[in-house]
Amino acid sequence: MELKGINEGESRRWPSKNLPAPTGSSGRWSVHGIFCFMLISLLLSSPLFILVKVAQAQAAAAAGADNDKVLVLKGARLLTSGNKNYERGTIVIKGSKIFEIGENPQIPAGAEVIDVSGCLITPGLIDAHSHLGLGPSGGVTEDNEMTDPVTPQLRIIDSIHPEGLAPDKNQFRQAVAEGVTTAVVRPGSGNVIGGQSAVLKLRGGTVDNMCILFPADMKMALGRKAAYAQKGQMPMTKMGTAFLVRQAMLEAADYRAALDRYENEKKNNPATATTPPPHDLKKEAMLLVLDRKIPVHIHVDQADDIMTAVRLAKEFSFSKLSLAHAEESYKVADELAREKVTVVVGPRMIVYDDDNRPVNLADYLHRQGVEICIMTDADVVQQPFLRSQAAIAVKYGLEPEEALRAITINPARLMGLEKSLGSLEPGKDADLVVWSGDLFDVRQEALRVFIDGVEVYRSPRVDGELKK
Amino acid sequence: MSKTGKGHTDHESNRVRQKQKMNQEKIEVERDRTRLSIKMDTKIKTKIKMKVTKVRAEAREEAKRSIAGENRGRKESGQVSRGVSRDEGQLQGAVKLKFKVQPFLKRAAKSAGVLAFWPMVMAVSLSLATRAGWPGPTLLGLLNPELQAAPTAGRSFGPQVEKPKLLVIKAGRILTMTGPPIEQGVIIVEGDKIKAVGKDLAIPEGAEIIDEPEGWVLPGLIDVHSSLGLVDERGQSENEELSEPNVAQLDVLDGFYPFDRRIVQVRTSGITAALICPGRRSVIGGQAAVVRLKGQTVDEMKILAPAGVKFSIGEGPKQAFGSKGRLPSTRMGNIYVIRQALLEAREYAGQWAAYNESLAAARKEKRSAATIQPPRRDLKLEALAKVVRGELPAFIECYRIDDISGAIRLVDEFKLKAVFMGCAEGYLVAGEISKRGIPVIVGPMGIGPKRTETENVEISNAARLHKAGVKIALQSETQYGLAALEELPLVAALAVRGGLGEEEALKAITINAAEIIGAGDKLGSLEPGKLADLVIFSGHPLDYRTRVKKVIMGT
Repeated sequence: MELKGINEGESRRWPSKNLPAPTGSSGRWSVHGIFCFMLISLLLSSPLFILVKVAQAQAAAAAGADNDKVLVLKGARLLTSGNKNYERGTIVIKGSKIFEIGENPQIPAGAEVIDVSGCLITPGLIDAHSHLGLGPSGGVTEDNEMTDPVTPQLRIIDSIHPEGLAPDKNQFRQAVAEGVTTAVVRPGSGNVIGGQSAVLKLRGGTVDNMCILFPADMKMALGRKAAYAQKGQMPMTKMGTAFLVRQAMLEAADYRAALDRYENEKKNNPATATTPPPHDLKKEAMLLVLDRKIPVHIHVDQADDIMTAVRLAKEFSFSKLSLAHAEESYKVADELAREKVTVVVGPRMIVYDDDNRPVNLADYLHRQGVEICIMTDADVVQQPFLRSQAAIAVKYGLEPEEALRAITINPARLMGLEKSLGSLEPGKDADLVVWSGDLFDVRQEALRVFIDGVEVYRSPRVDGELKK
Repeated sequence: MSKTGKGHTDHESNRVRQKQKMNQEKIEVERDRTRLSIKMDTKIKTKIKMKVTKVRAEAREEAKRSIAGENRGRKESGQVSRGVSRDEGQLQGAVKLKFKVQPFLKRAAKSAGVLAFWPMVMAVSLSLATRAGWPGPTLLGLLNPELQAAPTAGRSFGPQVEKPKLLVIKAGRILTMTGPPIEQGVIIVEGDKIKAVGKDLAIPEGAEIIDEPEGWVLPGLIDVHSSLGLVDERGQSENEELSEPNVAQLDVLDGFYPFDRRIVQVRTSGITAALICPGRRSVIGGQAAVVRLKGQTVDEMKILAPAGVKFSIGEGPKQAFGSKGRLPSTRMGNIYVIRQALLEAREYAGQWAAYNESLAAARKEKRSAATIQPPRRDLKLEALAKVVRGELPAFIECYRIDDISGAIRLVDEFKLKAVFMGCAEGYLVAGEISKRGIPVIVGPMGIGPKRTETENVEISNAARLHKAGVKIALQSETQYGLAALEELPLVAALAVRGGLGEEEALKAITINAAEIIGAGDKLGSLEPGKLADLVIFSGHPLDYRTRVKKVIMGT
């Protein structure tokens, strides 16, 4: 692939006009270099490295990466999502990584220093559940293959439009402008097993450049049966839904046994000609779940479906279970805490109990000891509004710091990427946002957004103020 | 609440059925007990037979009434959680009392032959319990525990009318929306009305006092584009009669369900009144109404009905009818349906004007009017005639610039008193809208899913319209499918981000909203004589940390 600095945009596959434009201060940047770095960090840090397919192509092209460039953001209030916050701190970014962070770190010679006094810096926001680039909800979308209720073989990266489809044609750009730097893009909930999710960083122009983790997890949905019930096809009941998951898991187990038999046979009797079991993408995909290589993310609403999800997770020892929406999870919060299930709350942040009393779901679950993430479910709520989703939870009682964690480090941890994303700590990717004021106040805006140390968005206000 | 999983009609009939069943059960219990007692004293059986029948009938009446009250109380119980336990306590107390009284009564009845009295005693004690202390829906202590300890103004559900009580609200900052903010001000509420607002007012004696030294008081927020009571949580819809594109004859009051759970929910975010509108898929959807979000029946709740007639131009009608191969399947078709209807209405209005003139002439000349025939009444044209005559505003929902332009042409042609709703691309033609003095209900701000019509939604839309001189109100995002709750302050804050002044943004969800929907005389500001619907916020209403502390709707 001949991809050059995004500034030139000559050989990119898609026109650049709608992409987050990197700005002068950071100069040109190389997609390859960043990926190389990311790949290395993943190789070092995560057993999931084998799953990262996208970076392979970039790995060879590390030359030209501006790894020695040092950028310093000085004087802002730092909410790190990590162990320590700073009322007035400084971040040193070297290449694509955070090099140092503190009240008064040593500034290397030749560093570019930007004074951001009076601003707030947070990690780049991460949406744990999004359908970015898959078309308008309620319209023709690319996230539900409604011809078969069990489609684990589908890969969401094959559906994503890297800028967003009309009428959301500038989704990615707008999301970045509101501080969203990473999104977990998932198949829809029309199918019982929808397909494989991906984690994207919102820069790079192509899905392959954006994708930092694939397959990230397996998306399922319980309690949703209307679409197939209409056709008179299974699942028409919740039992049917659960059965289909079980069936898929058992078929994968059989496939695993057949594979093992073949391997044994090959090893023990190399002379005899044996044939491997035929490829079956469906079963191969479910093997990832069976072998605990990828976690499972399940769309649920009602308490009974939530418990079915927990039951399935135990039965098949899912490596990790997370639930989306889970509007009735307040009814079974202690169970979820005990089973260490993460709940991704949203797009409805406030639900009403049977007596019509409001329940601030994120806050309630957090107080019951459940790990929470907050989502937009873009485009049910548009991707840029991730922080206002969190703001609603804060308005009704969630601790602001916990709300920040729910859109930064918690989603990173959910996806197994906490070593490189989600907080402002030395060694992590330099994904961060400089805000004009309080993060949760929608009257404030993102002034500068960095992904992998590169400025991908700058508010017009910044240059205006600089001129003053 | 019963869960029928069906529409309102079923829901309604189910409720009635349940009520009847409860009555029946109660009466049967009474009957059994009465029978038992009667067995004990067969001698007087015949004597009291007549009396039993009579008393039973009375008891039935009484039970019916008290159960009706109880049901109402139950509906409201979601609002004041403390109230729930108190009610239950009182009910239990009443039941205990009844059981203590029972043996004594039996003895007394035995000797006096008035055994059958005690069913009535039971019924009366029950009804007393319900009357004595329902906390009523006036103060909604919600969302945090300290709220739930808020004083509760008593409100009886029985037939007797209580004298209006006095309520005094002292607050750190009162935003009247028509005058300057009052620091450490006082509001005096009498019954349903505001009696006085000011800084150093004499506190009347015997008044209940709410003191919120840190609180900000605003008039109750108004959602100017709502489907409350028409579309329930499960999406069952009563707001679109799609059997034909023009159904101007319909009145939302006839579809409004006062116990929609969402009514209580939106009140928790400070909304106390709403313009209830037919949906966006009908070309002419029917008559809208302004409703106060307090009460048991729509007649009690309505503030202004009809408030106007709802029109819609764009994808909504196109999809609803075009997909069935019916008119309109294009935007031209859409406008044609409206023009045709308004032309007919103009004619109809003319016929009635002529009729009234000839009546007046006959009266003047003192000749018989017997031969003068009135035109045939047509409910559809009657509603539209009011629009043509300028008696009712036309609420025109339009999003794209082509639809807005179409709406402007209609306004010009028929000299409509119009209000535009939606207007996602309004900023592109702000000057044209302003020139005609058309107010705009702006929304959505782009939080919710985008449709082809809201593709070019701009956060600065409200600000730019305002700058061009258009009077604006802001609607909640739910109308366009946002899966979050009705957060008008959030919408206002977004408008501020788009460049609108904070004061203007707050006006857009209070006084301007009230004036645009024609209820400015009753709603939208804190002034003597207006409805005492107000919200106490814990701080600046546009700050995300601010919560609604209390919602007050009369004493």
